[in-house]
Amino acid sequence: MTLNSTRYILRETVHSMKRNPWLSIASVLTVMVSLVILGFSVFFLANASNMAKSFESQLEIATFVQTSATSAQVQALQSQIQGMPGVASVTIVTKEQALIDFGKTMGGSQGNLVTDLGGTNPFPDKLTVKATDPQKVKALADAVSVLPGVDKVRYGQGYVDKLLIFTQWLRWIGLGVVVAFGIAAIVLISINVKMNVFSRRREIQIMKLVGASNGFIRWPFLIEGLALGLVGGALAATIVGMGYNWLANYILSTLTFLPVVQNGVLFRQVTVGLLLVGMVMGAIGSGLSLQKFLRA
Amino acid sequence: MIQLRNVSKIYPNGARALVDVNLKIGKGEFVFLVGPSGAGKSTIIKLFYRDETPTRGQVQINSKNLVRMKDREVPYLRRGIGVIFQDFKLLPNKTVFENVAFALEVIGVSRSEVKNRTLVTLELVGLASKEKSFPHELSGGEQQRVCVARAIINNPALLVADEPTGNLDPETAWEIMDLLYNINKRGTTVVMATHARNIVDKMQKRVIAIENGRVARDEEKGGYGYDA
Repeated sequence: MTLNSTRYILRETVHSMKRNPWLSIASVLTVMVSLVILGFSVFFLANASNMAKSFESQLEIATFVQTSATSAQVQALQSQIQGMPGVASVTIVTKEQALIDFGKTMGGSQGNLVTDLGGTNPFPDKLTVKATDPQKVKALADAVSVLPGVDKVRYGQGYVDKLLIFTQWLRWIGLGVVVAFGIAAIVLISINVKMNVFSRRREIQIMKLVGASNGFIRWPFLIEGLALGLVGGALAATIVGMGYNWLANYILSTLTFLPVVQNGVLFRQVTVGLLLVGMVMGAIGSGLSLQKFLRA
Repeated sequence: MIQLRNVSKIYPNGARALVDVNLKIGKGEFVFLVGPSGAGKSTIIKLFYRDETPTRGQVQINSKNLVRMKDREVPYLRRGIGVIFQDFKLLPNKTVFENVAFALEVIGVSRSEVKNRTLVTLELVGLASKEKSFPHELSGGEQQRVCVARAIINNPALLVADEPTGNLDPETAWEIMDLLYNINKRGTTVVMATHARNIVDKMQKRVIAIENGRVARDEEKGGYGYDA
């Protein structure tokens, strides 16, 4: 590619965008709308998966120790469970602590609680076990329950399975939304580029006739697609970034119990991602649509 | 210069455009292709600049085999061939100057050379004063001159024209024929498909008649030969 050609191609790209300002604007808007939807669906996926993770992290196995066990035995049991595969953490809740906690939930004066309960502390010592992988909670609970000294385990049997199915669905739906809108964005953009190429088919035909090489014909379209994609992507990134920020703050201040992702790294990734996707889709869309016209 | 050997062309829809055509055109010749509509004239023209390839047979231009030619070599073939159309095929949103300069710009000629050669060529076809006009501001004859200028600006060895006077009134048609005659005089081979009886009869050039995809007649200094 000579300098003359490069200069001509750049000039031609700018001319073409000036000559068809509405088509250029339409392309930018198409890219923008597609990528705004895609950007929001990425945040939806991030939140869905974050929510699933937050639900799952609340899963734990309550291991009740036989009432006859001494505190040394409880501690031995703790380190034994700690050594088992798939265990994230084991914390001891002594029977005394359990009584205090219980008193607090009753909201009363716990001073005479023992007397009220008949002079004995009815609570056993408890080990709270967290698993590294929520899927393994059931298996881990079964393993823990047969250890010597363990009275019984509680991990929300039945409830756990349903929760895991629910969180799995949440992730799939989030992913599905991203994929669906990703495809929609590509289709919209390629239709737009096709219109652009179609409106200039005469020009392409004459270029071929006077002996322009295919590469020469392709460059202005590729650069134009790249530029329009970049502008659309930048607009989309701005809208998604500001819109999501506003939405997240609104949710955080009204529905405080919902875990909302507010992560600078994710923001940067989505921004860079939207710019790249816009450029790549613009360029690839142009290239593919041209192929039909360039074939001999 | 041009050689067609046993060329047959069947279009994908099954239409047999050419049947076993043999043809030789020498350097510097002026040739008319005549014959009824749909006889295969346009197909022959398209074979020259490889807009079509034959179903069977060989096409040679300047001893280059167009059948075996790779797609990426085609642009270089076309830089040596000027093409003129009945409908001019000008770009409506470019000026006369830009339309003609286009042919040089897309093959990477420097800007100053583009300017010089375009002005010289516009002078040659008599349109120097219209360089800033747009095609829709020109008459049919002027538009065809622009098309001729674009076709010859690369100094092609071969100029092919598919009914170049088809959309023009008789007087304007003769102006275009004068132009082609002069271009031929400078050594360019000209092949022109036409229905213009009076032009063919008066010019007394080689006439090749195509009928039903076959060469029906080929004579030096011939006439149009069909009854009205």
